Amino acid sequence: MSERPRRRRPQSRLIPPSPSPPPEAAPEPPKNIPERKPTNSRPFLLDFFPLESEKETRLSRFYDRLRTGRLSTTRCPKDDLLHWPPRTACPRCHTEELEWVDLPEQGRLYAFSAVLAGAPLGMESEVPFSVGLVDLDGVPLRLFGRIEGKPWTELTIGLTVRVEPFEVGDGRVFYRFRVAD
Amino acid sequence: MSGRAVAVVGGVTPRWGVRSATWSELAQEVGAALFRAVPELRSEDVDSLFVGAAEPERFAFQSHVAPLVAEQMGLRPHRIVQRTELACASGQSAIRSAYAAIAAGLSDVAVAVGVEKMNLPSMAEANTAMACVMDRPWDGPAGATAPPFFAMVAQRHMLEYGTTEEQLAAVSEKNHRFANTNPSAQFYEKSFPRDKLLRLPLIAPPLRLGDCASMTDGAAAVVLAGEEHVRRFTDTPAWVRGSGQYSDFHNLANAGSLTDWVGLKQAVRQALGQAKISIGDVDVAEVHDCFTISEIIEYESLGLCPAGEGGRFAADGRGDVGGDLLVNPRGGLLGCGHPLGATGIGQAVEVYQQFAGRVPPARQSPDPEWALVHNLSGSANVHSVMVYQGGGAA
Repeated sequence: MSERPRRRRPQSRLIPPSPSPPPEAAPEPPKNIPERKPTNSRPFLLDFFPLESEKETRLSRFYDRLRTGRLSTTRCPKDDLLHWPPRTACPRCHTEELEWVDLPEQGRLYAFSAVLAGAPLGMESEVPFSVGLVDLDGVPLRLFGRIEGKPWTELTIGLTVRVEPFEVGDGRVFYRFRVAD
Repeated sequence: MSGRAVAVVGGVTPRWGVRSATWSELAQEVGAALFRAVPELRSEDVDSLFVGAAEPERFAFQSHVAPLVAEQMGLRPHRIVQRTELACASGQSAIRSAYAAIAAGLSDVAVAVGVEKMNLPSMAEANTAMACVMDRPWDGPAGATAPPFFAMVAQRHMLEYGTTEEQLAAVSEKNHRFANTNPSAQFYEKSFPRDKLLRLPLIAPPLRLGDCASMTDGAAAVVLAGEEHVRRFTDTPAWVRGSGQYSDFHNLANAGSLTDWVGLKQAVRQALGQAKISIGDVDVAEVHDCFTISEIIEYESLGLCPAGEGGRFAADGRGDVGGDLLVNPRGGLLGCGHPLGATGIGQAVEVYQQFAGRVPPARQSPDPEWALVHNLSGSANVHSVMVYQGGGAA
């Protein structure tokens, strides 16, 4: 699988369009990542969202690309193996020479449920919320995530959902799925 | 099996539930109870200690728990002292490690103990601890914990095989009924008939409150000994004859089929193969019913029924008294509660007592020879199985 051709993307609800599109092949990490300010109200060990900056993770490129609206992962060119989650070394051949590829923006619900009670700290106010496993179109990946856009009682297996990046609120980003219109 | 024969020679499970006791006090309590339950045991006999504890850092803000437990129990282990952590299977891990050490000649008499204190002032904080078991930076932000994951497993099983809510309730009713014979169980005094179970609130649809094991405070301990030391302690040892384990995946994206538990099939094949028996030879099984759907898929993966027929197996009472195989007579995780690190130890205590003929008649297997214990951990991504033989010589 090669790098997917860049297509026009629907505007995310939360992420403003990037002023200039990032370079296509092997994007360099942005030069001036602002230092993450400790604006999160939860201490790190009670915070579910990962550390995302270049200082903190070797996978910062995943979050940089997500910030521009692109869900991506690593691929081993040697093994033609697509990874999830993105990795720094291939689990099959152990090479650390991996490439980044964009993932399809759309998929179908393989299974879902909802958290009606027993939510972790910081998520209590979001109850009830839905989660599901999504088969991404055209790639052998089934991703877990939040399912937004419809109450759990209206979700069905096979429903089409779209990847939706969102801002955590302190400069960090993550992804979720939204039921397609 | 190679190496020296090893047996569980005694054990104890004090009261489980929502306990007015700290983590350390549960450890101290199980120590006192163990020395009462195994009067032949002297502190100086115990050369090694294995502590199954899943998340003391999260639940009690405490690391380095092996020496803490040694002190609480009044032990001074002088060969091996360590903690084993494998989430929900931490207790069985402690037993397996003790078994391996004794079989290898590195220990003669070891204690395997499990301790977990899960009920905190803030349940949200306790739920956060439970969520750490998943792939935290990737699945955690979405709110992945055990109930929604096993709910998806149940949803797929219902879709693929037509399994029903009533069949899930059959598992819960059986295990809660057995728990009514077990004074250690969290739900010893509570009854859960099927119609009541089907009216309990949904936690993660299609799973209701009665489909889910509870957050539980509890501890349990067993003594293991090498063959030449066994008769000092008991005439009814539970000999370890086989053990198997399989780790399949971690991130939920890599689970593959949610309803075909390949890892359990692998682990049970290893364990039964070492014991040179088949599943039909097993008289009593303690399996990991963290959720009702788990026990249903375990019936299938253990080879008790074909894929997809676990629900019917449950509804037909084939895992009940007088069925094909007595499953979870102790009351299971559903009835006893699930203090993560203690669960696997509590299961081994039940096996020991079943072999000794020391459980109430309502749950006693008639003259059992073979027992199987299973734990899964996390999102059923790891399976651990042990096979025990009662009576007889080493």
